[in-house]
This record gives sequence, structure tokens and C-alpha cells, in this order.
Amino acid sequence: MITLEHISKWVTTAGLRTFLLKDINLTIKEGEFVSIMGPSGSGKSTLLNVIGMLDDADEGKYDFMGNQVHSMKEKQRSQLYKQYIGFVFQAYHLIDELTVYENIETPLLYQDTKSTERKAMVGDMLDRFQMVGKKDLFPTQLSGGQQQLVGIARALISSPKLILADEPTGNLNSRQGEEIMELFKKLNEEDGVTIIQVTHSEKNAAYGNRIIHLLDGRIEHPR
Amino acid sequence: MFYHNLKLAFRTLLRNKIYSLVNIGGLALGIAVFLLLLEYVSFERSFNNFQENAGNTYRLLNEDQKNSFWPEIEPGWAPRAKEKFPAIIDYCRLESDVAKGILQRNTGNAPAFRETSIGFAEGNFFEFFSFPLLKGNAASFHAPNTIFLSAGSAEKYFGNEEPVGQQLILSNQFGKTIYQVGGVFEIPANSDIRYDQVLSLETLRNPANLNGNDWAALENTGSQYLQTYLRLTPGTTPELLETKLTALRNEVGKENDGVRFRLQSFQHLHLAASLNDSFPTAGNIKYLYILSLISVLILLIAWFNYVNLSTAQALKKANEVGVRKIAGASRLSLIGQFLVEAMLVNLLGFVIALLLVYFLQPLFNSVMALKLSPADILSSSAWMFGSGLLLAGSLLTGTYTAFALSGFNPIVTLRNRLTRSGSGSRIRKTLVVTQFAISIALIIGTVLIYQQLRYLQEKNIGVTKAQMLIVRGPEAGKDSSFNQRQVAFLQMLSRYPFVEDYAGSGTYPGGWYNFVTSGFTQPGSLKGDEFKSYAFAIIDERYLPAFEIPLVAGRNFRPEETGIPWDKNNKVLLNETAVAALGFKNPDDVLHTPVQWDERALQVIGVVKDYNHANLKKTIMPMIFYPQNSSAYCCIRLASGSVSQHIAGVEKLYKQYFPGNPFEYFFLDENYQRQYAAEKQYGQLFTAASVWAVIIACLGLFGLTTFTVTSRTKEIGIRKVLGASVLDITQLLSRDFLLLVGIAALIAFPVAWWAMQRWLQDFPYRINISWWVFALAAVIASVIALITIGFQSVRAALSNPVKNLRTE
Repeated sequence: MITLEHISKWVTTAGLRTFLLKDINLTIKEGEFVSIMGPSGSGKSTLLNVIGMLDDADEGKYDFMGNQVHSMKEKQRSQLYKQYIGFVFQAYHLIDELTVYENIETPLLYQDTKSTERKAMVGDMLDRFQMVGKKDLFPTQLSGGQQQLVGIARALISSPKLILADEPTGNLNSRQGEEIMELFKKLNEEDGVTIIQVTHSEKNAAYGNRIIHLLDGRIEHPR
Repeated sequence: MFYHNLKLAFRTLLRNKIYSLVNIGGLALGIAVFLLLLEYVSFERSFNNFQENAGNTYRLLNEDQKNSFWPEIEPGWAPRAKEKFPAIIDYCRLESDVAKGILQRNTGNAPAFRETSIGFAEGNFFEFFSFPLLKGNAASFHAPNTIFLSAGSAEKYFGNEEPVGQQLILSNQFGKTIYQVGGVFEIPANSDIRYDQVLSLETLRNPANLNGNDWAALENTGSQYLQTYLRLTPGTTPELLETKLTALRNEVGKENDGVRFRLQSFQHLHLAASLNDSFPTAGNIKYLYILSLISVLILLIAWFNYVNLSTAQALKKANEVGVRKIAGASRLSLIGQFLVEAMLVNLLGFVIALLLVYFLQPLFNSVMALKLSPADILSSSAWMFGSGLLLAGSLLTGTYTAFALSGFNPIVTLRNRLTRSGSGSRIRKTLVVTQFAISIALIIGTVLIYQQLRYLQEKNIGVTKAQMLIVRGPEAGKDSSFNQRQVAFLQMLSRYPFVEDYAGSGTYPGGWYNFVTSGFTQPGSLKGDEFKSYAFAIIDERYLPAFEIPLVAGRNFRPEETGIPWDKNNKVLLNETAVAALGFKNPDDVLHTPVQWDERALQVIGVVKDYNHANLKKTIMPMIFYPQNSSAYCCIRLASGSVSQHIAGVEKLYKQYFPGNPFEYFFLDENYQRQYAAEKQYGQLFTAASVWAVIIACLGLFGLTTFTVTSRTKEIGIRKVLGASVLDITQLLSRDFLLLVGIAALIAFPVAWWAMQRWLQDFPYRINISWWVFALAAVIASVIALITIGFQSVRAALSNPVKNLRTE
């Protein structure tokens, strides 16, 4: 599904290159549940952003489901990620002015889905996450765990093939964190959604079937 | 999608209540002022537009070699010109000055009223112009001794009775004349030609009706007292006709005094065609431009506010924009969303502005001394300009904010790298500077206008104004016993203990002169001196002492000298300016030199110290004081005490000696104040405008500080933990804004100085602009800004840092 070849990304300050990612080679197959680990500043989020096409690499080749992402234009790339990728954030990033229902609905509005279809899809999603009773509440009226559930529901509404999660449990207590991880596992196993998550916690990383360690922008290969 | 966006916009507004209030409120204040001033501008522009033939109608003007214009024309020219030049289809002569007098029904003891808005007009008045006739027949006005009344005036004299066919007696300088009512007319509020009563000009063709006033004879070309309107054949070149008319004037016996005829388009009778058009107009286009400018500036401040507040929100919006972009939103769809929000804010602002207009209308009308309503906006094409500007402004500001907000890069915003108020901060600062520059300039204008007004009101004009009561003289009942009654009245008056002094005169300080004429020379005069203008004041021997006006040379008139008939008298007094105009260096010299007034030899017996006879908006003219016992005005200096009792005493005497005349009086100082009404109106408008501008600008500043403080919460928290005091934090937050106000002041100073310098140039007597006014305006703006900022800053500085840092 994803093939990264010699991916590097850097910033130049005072003529000096500081590598954020250096010579990353990585293949992720469809149906995998990958956890990216590493200390702060090791490039985890940058890697995730490159994979999510929110950021581009300075060097290297990126193949996403047969598309040469590195040679695509901004517009084509956004078409691509809109279609296949869902994002989940540590800080949930829900829109405060929208209800739970409307937050989940938002991606569909931008895909010009018909109103009746939207209703059905959001309704299904609410059912699945057992949030029907909370659909008219605003994000601030929910607990952190519930907000993250909404965030995941929103990421799933357009049926992505890939979910990118940047420390999805970072702001949650351990019980809430476990629930989210269980959900990810279920999505991965039952629905076949590919998941890439960034995490600090060994315990959460263990939910996946593969762990990638990053240090100073390089992948550390198990010795 | 639109519905979704609208719902979202409403929710956003409700969620950020302070922000919405400040934003919508600011817009509403700005639009309200704009609409009110638009009413006025529109009303002024609509003047005379009901006149159907305005397009080919012209007013005849005189222009002298000094390029001054006046519309009073000798009555004899129009008929001669029509006969000679086929380009003139028709003419209409009218006047509004010479017929003033006392009007009364021709029945027993009906009440008498002094009418001042009365005048003679050509027989075709109601055909030439488009005034609606409510009663009567336009053609009947061609007959002599016919009077047409305004609706209000008809009711005043006849109540519910049928006015047409009734008789009225008019007593004025033409004696006592009986007029028959021929009709009732209505004059729209936006007409420059205004009458309460019009008299048929044909009346003056009968020598008996002239009562010795031969200057008013309809064929004469010697005395200028009528306005003359000409209707020209379409396609006539006015400039060509002007030359022909001037040639006619020079040909028919007029010695060449350099005066030429000019034609002023009727369409520019109220407002000049441009600022360079120097023809006299009833309205003031300069004033209109200033008001339009102020209204647009205030609207601009309001829009700047809107842009500032909206883009300052970027910080809050950035996150949402990021999320939406990742959820698949295109920039266009985001622009659409923010545009809907912008339109909603503008629409709400407009609706609230309409409410404000409704509540402010009475106040505005009282300041402008007009009866305006929002309907007046539609009375001229100004509404198109107005609505176009409003629409364009809201679209432009809305689109700008939409573009600014939708441009965020999702990665940056979602990772909270956006710390300060973002990229638009330079634009935002520029807008704040502009707002405050406008406010400061308006404050400077306000202070200077009031200083000038105060100067006009308080400057010593060389005349005792306090306690001077002026009583208008009688017009009715001037029979053979009148002179005796006048003498007896003054004698009885002098016996009252509260009358300190009194005088009878043809004019009074603060009033206009009796007349202005030329033709004065002395043996040493240069060629051309005979065209210099001199103003005549008819006074008795008590006038100068009553007003405490000193003589600098010679002596005052003696009582017996004021009784000499007009033609027989040869003694006059001059003021110092007249002495200089005649070419004398020393006042004493004029006492020993004979002076010529055309063919008459005059002896100057004294020189009066210069005083401002007209108001202070005019320079002192050369004046000639002519001795006569005039009954036009009775000037009484009252002792202190109960003014109402004193007046009652005078009234009793007046009614006793002059029955059938209304008792009318005013105080000299109040009359002077009234002449500065325009300046007072200016002052009030500027005060309102500057207060308004400052309020809106402060609303914006308030909103901006709120956001600055929010965006710097973390910084403030860290600084406090590191030991910063409340004062340190307040200073930190206020410094930037005060700097902006400082820059604004530097921009405002030269602009305000230049504009006010130009305004003051119209006044011969004016204040010097002093530096402290500028300092004051800057200080006022800074203090207000500081209070606005301070409230927010102190609150931020007082907040608990632990709490702030935790929420980050």
C-alpha cells in the first residue's frame, strides 16, 4: 500500500541542514496496524504528515497505492488523501461550533454527498459508536474520551483505507486510552482498515502488529 | 451548504457574544451615521428638482470687475431683452425684500401679522415655475393687486373660510394697499424660491401704488431689487447671450461701470456645479462635501473595525480551518462559509443601524434644523451612490476577511505553531492607525470650531450689546398723526425708570445696512474711487450714545439735524474705514474737506470709531451715518431687573401709540448669537462625528485587545511566574497600541492643520491655531485608548498564571 524510498526531509538554518527525516525506507501493506515510536523530536509526526500528504519530503520517492505521490501536484494529492485517508489527532480538533452529528458529517459535506445518504451514513456511525443520545451535544459538553470517539467517527465517515493517528490517546486517561485502542484493533481486524499510529506508550504500541522505532529522523532497525 | 453555513454563522456569533456585539455594534453605529448624513446630502441634492423646466431656465446675475456676483437686477432689463433676443422665450421677475410689512384682513379689527416672507412676483409666476396650486387659477395672478397665499398662511388669516376672493391690507413702504386673494399654493420643502405670500408685480405698474418709491417702477433700469429668471430656447449658448445682454446694458444709457450680466443655470441654483463655480447659491456645496467626507470616513472606521476584529479571530478560526481542510474542504468552500458569516454580520449591522436611525432622527433633525426622514434618501440619485457604497463595502470587507481566514496551512495551525495574531498583523496595525488618525483629526476640528465660535461670540465688537432691546417699528397706521405719535412714544419711553437710554434708527448693530451705494469722492480722489462701496446707516442723535460708540473726531448729530428732510440734509458722520477709503490719513482732515456724493456736496461733521456693524463673518465696511428720525427700529438699553416687566411696560406704550401693529422685539446679543447658528451647527456636527468616530475606533481597539490578550495568555502566565508585576504586564500590552495612537497623531496633525486653516480663512476675524489643541487631541485619544486597553490588560495581568498555563 505504502512504499517510501530514501525519503529525507530537512530544514536549513544558517546554512546548516538539520534532518527531520533521513533516508527512510519503509513498506506498509494493506491491513497492517503499525505503531511508530521514538523519543520527542525523532520525526514521528513528520513521518506521519508525509505519509498523510499534509507535508512533502525534500527527497525520495513515495508510492501510495500505485500513485507517485512525490511527483504529484498539491491538488491531486489532496484529492488522493481525501479519498483514502482519515486523520485522528491528539487534541481531537473538533469544531466547537458544531454538534457531534455535524462534526461527523463535515467531510461528507465537502464530498458533495446527498443529504439523505449523509443522514444514513452519520446515523450508522453514531449507532456503531453508541453515541446516538449525544448527537446534539457540542464537543465541550463531552469528556476527552468521547471527543476522541467523535474524532475517530469523523475520520471513518468517508470509509478511508488508511487511518493516521497522531498520539490518539495522549490526552486521555488510561481507561479511555484502552477503549480507543480496542476500537482501533477492532477496525483493523474486522474492517481491514490500515492503521498507522504514533505513540509514546509501549502498551499502546503492542496493540499493533508491527512497531517502527525512530531516532533522529532514521528508522532504527531491530538488532 | 448555504443553510449549513448560515446556521454555523449564527452559532459562531452567539458563541462569541462580546466579539459579535462589538463587531455588529461598530458596523451599526457607522452605517447609522452614514444613513443620517445621506438623508441630508440627498435632500440638498434634490433641491428644485420638482421644477419641470429647470433645464432651460437661467437666473440673471450681475458680476463686477472684482468678480463678485449679486442676483438683484433692475426691473427694466427683462422686458427689453425679451423684445430684442428671440432666444428668450419668457422671463419671470421676483423679489423677496421690499414688500415686507404688516398684513391684515380687510375686516374691522382682524389680527395683524408682520410678514417677512412676502414679495412681488411676475404675473406668470405659477406658469413659469411648477408650484402646485391648491386653490384658484394661475392666470388670475396677472392682474394687479392680487395676492396668493401659502396653505399655512391661508389658514392663518381665514381659518376654515374660503380665502379666494377675500381681501387683505398690506402696510409697508408702499403705503397701505388692498390685495385680493386669488389662490392658495404649496411650496415643497426642497424649493429655494419660498414665499408665505406672493403679490402680483403688476401692482407696481400703477404709480399710485408706488407711494413715491419711484425706484421700484417696472420700466426703470436704475435700481437693483428684483431677481430675474429667463427661459431660453433649447440649444441656446448662455455665454453668447450673456455678451449680448451686457452689450444691451451698456448701450441703454449705463455708464461703463464694468458690471456684466451672467446667466446661472437654474439646476445649479442650490448647489454649485463644482467647487470652482463661484455663482452665488442657496446651499453650500463645500459644506455638503465635508459632510459626505465625514460620513464616508466614519463608515470606513466601522469597516476597518470589522476587518480588524474578523481577522484577529484568525487564531480561533485557524484550528477550524485546518480541520476542515483535512476533512476535504477546498479553499473556495471555506471562503463561501466565511462570506456567509460576513454577510450576516453586515446585515445585522444594517438592521440595527435602521433602528438607530429611527431613534436618532429627532436629535439629528434638531441639530440640522430640518425635518428629514429616511424617505429623503430616495429624493435624489444619492441613494444609488449610498446603497452602492454600502454593498461594495460589505462585499469587499467580507471577501477580504474570508480570503485572509481561509488561507491557513493545516499543518501549521493544527500543531499550534500560530502563536501571535498572525500574518495580517501589519494590515491590522495600519487600519488601527488610520482609524485613530481620523478620530484625532475630527477631535482637532471640533476643538478649533468651538474656539472660533467662542471667539466670534465673545470678541469685543465695539458696541454695548448687553441689555439692548430692539423693538421693530410700526408699519400700519402711518397717517398724518404718525410723526407726533412717534415723538410722544419716545418721550413716554424716556420717563420709564428702567430705560437707561434709547434711540430710533433705520438699522441696528448686527443687522444689515440700510443700503450700500457708491459715488463718494473728495477733491483728492483717484479715478475709479467713485466705484468704491459705502454702507449707509440711518440714525438719530441718540444712536451713538445709546450703543456707547465713541467718536474719534468732530461731533455727533444735534437733535435739530435729524429732523431735516432727506434731500435737504448735507451733514454726515463717517467711520474710520470710510475715512481711509476716501483717502484721508488723519480723521481730522476729513472734517475740513468737502465730500461729493454724486452731485451732492456733503459735510463730514465727525468720525465714528470703527465697530462691527454686521456680524464678525464680515469685515468692517466704510460706513456713512445719515441723520434722520427713523421709526424702523427702536433701540432701548434696559436697566437690570425684571426683564419681563420692562418689556411689558414697553409693549403697553407701543400698543397705545401704534395700534394695529404687532409688538415684536429681540435682544441684540441674542441676535448676534443667531448669526453664528451655522458655525454652531458645524460645531455640533463635528462633536457628534468625532465622538462617534472615537467610540467606533475604541470598540475596535477593545475587540483587538481582547484577542491580543487571549493569544498572549501563555506568555503572560510565564512572565508572571518569572516575577512580572501587574504594572509590567499592563505596560507590555498597552505599549504597542499607544505607539499606534502616536503614529496616528503624527498623520492627523498636518491634515487637520491644513483643513482647519482653510476653514478659518473664510473668517476675517479668526483665532490662531495653537499647538496645544493638537496635543490635547492626541492626549484625549491616548487616554481613551488607554482606558479601553487598560481594562483588558489589567484583567489579564491579574489572572492566575497557574490556571492559564495548565489550559495550554
